Amino acid sequence: MVNAECGQLFTIEGIAAALIMLATVFIVVNTTSVYTPGDTHVNDMQLEVIGTDALKMLNTPVSMSGDGKSPLVRMIEFNDADAFNKSFSNILNNRTGADPDTIQFSADISYKSNCGATKNGVNTTHFTHSERARPKGGLFGGEHAVHVSQWIILDDYNTTTFKNVFPEQCGSNSAKRAALVEVYLWRD
Amino acid sequence: MNDTAQWIVLMGFVVSFSLFFLAVILNQSTVVGQTTAEAVSEFPKEDIRGVRTALLQSNMYWASVNDQTNIRLDIENISLTRQNAVIRIYAPISVNDTYWLYPIHYNNGVTEYNERWKFP
Repeated sequence: MVNAECGQLFTIEGIAAALIMLATVFIVVNTTSVYTPGDTHVNDMQLEVIGTDALKMLNTPVSMSGDGKSPLVRMIEFNDADAFNKSFSNILNNRTGADPDTIQFSADISYKSNCGATKNGVNTTHFTHSERARPKGGLFGGEHAVHVSQWIILDDYNTTTFKNVFPEQCGSNSAKRAALVEVYLWRD
Repeated sequence: MNDTAQWIVLMGFVVSFSLFFLAVILNQSTVVGQTTAEAVSEFPKEDIRGVRTALLQSNMYWASVNDQTNIRLDIENISLTRQNAVIRIYAPISVNDTYWLYPIHYNNGVTEYNERWKFP
């Protein structure tokens, strides 16, 4: 064994210092990319804003003249799920560049029923959903979905197709009613 | 008495304390922004705006008092069931010949909001 032992402590200190410096660099580099719980809320908020804006666009009347009804109100009065599906998907998923986004949705309508066993209760019926959503509406459970909604005012009897707009509804006299369009949105 | 290496021991203490301090800061950084983001997400901004828009539309386009009452009751019922919020829409208060005040009350247990919207 070599007899010169005077440098041992310095060597240990050198190793300790190196480790400390490495640890510091690791911490500094990492802190800039820590994915905090707050960040997931930011994503949710962005999705909520996109959904609310899309619904609001659809619920803006094209013209103030005439009956002042928005495209959204017309689609629901005519039970035109395909038109809603198409235009809502386009507004949600269009973005600059070639590839569209992949936001999925499931849309329901809540209204006050005026007929049958559920009279004066609030019913929710499924309206339509996107391609990769659960077939009869609702959620599978794995989606990280946000909820957006939009109030609409409509005539509950369609004088063009002679049909009631909502399933639980009697009579054929038209009245102005308020309903809530509710949409679940998630990225798939 | 052997008093060599005192500086090294002292530096060891300094370095270990500063590491501990850095660890505390790193620990705090994981929860930063959570309460803020939650507060923003939970605040029912669009719900309140939606009620106001629907109410003003019903008063602007359709003057029939019956329709307005229907719409008001629908909004109160549906929001209680679907949005967990108590909404009361009171009868408009006349200011003068031109303007009316439309009082709206909103409460979902966390956020309470009252407004009187001045409108023709």
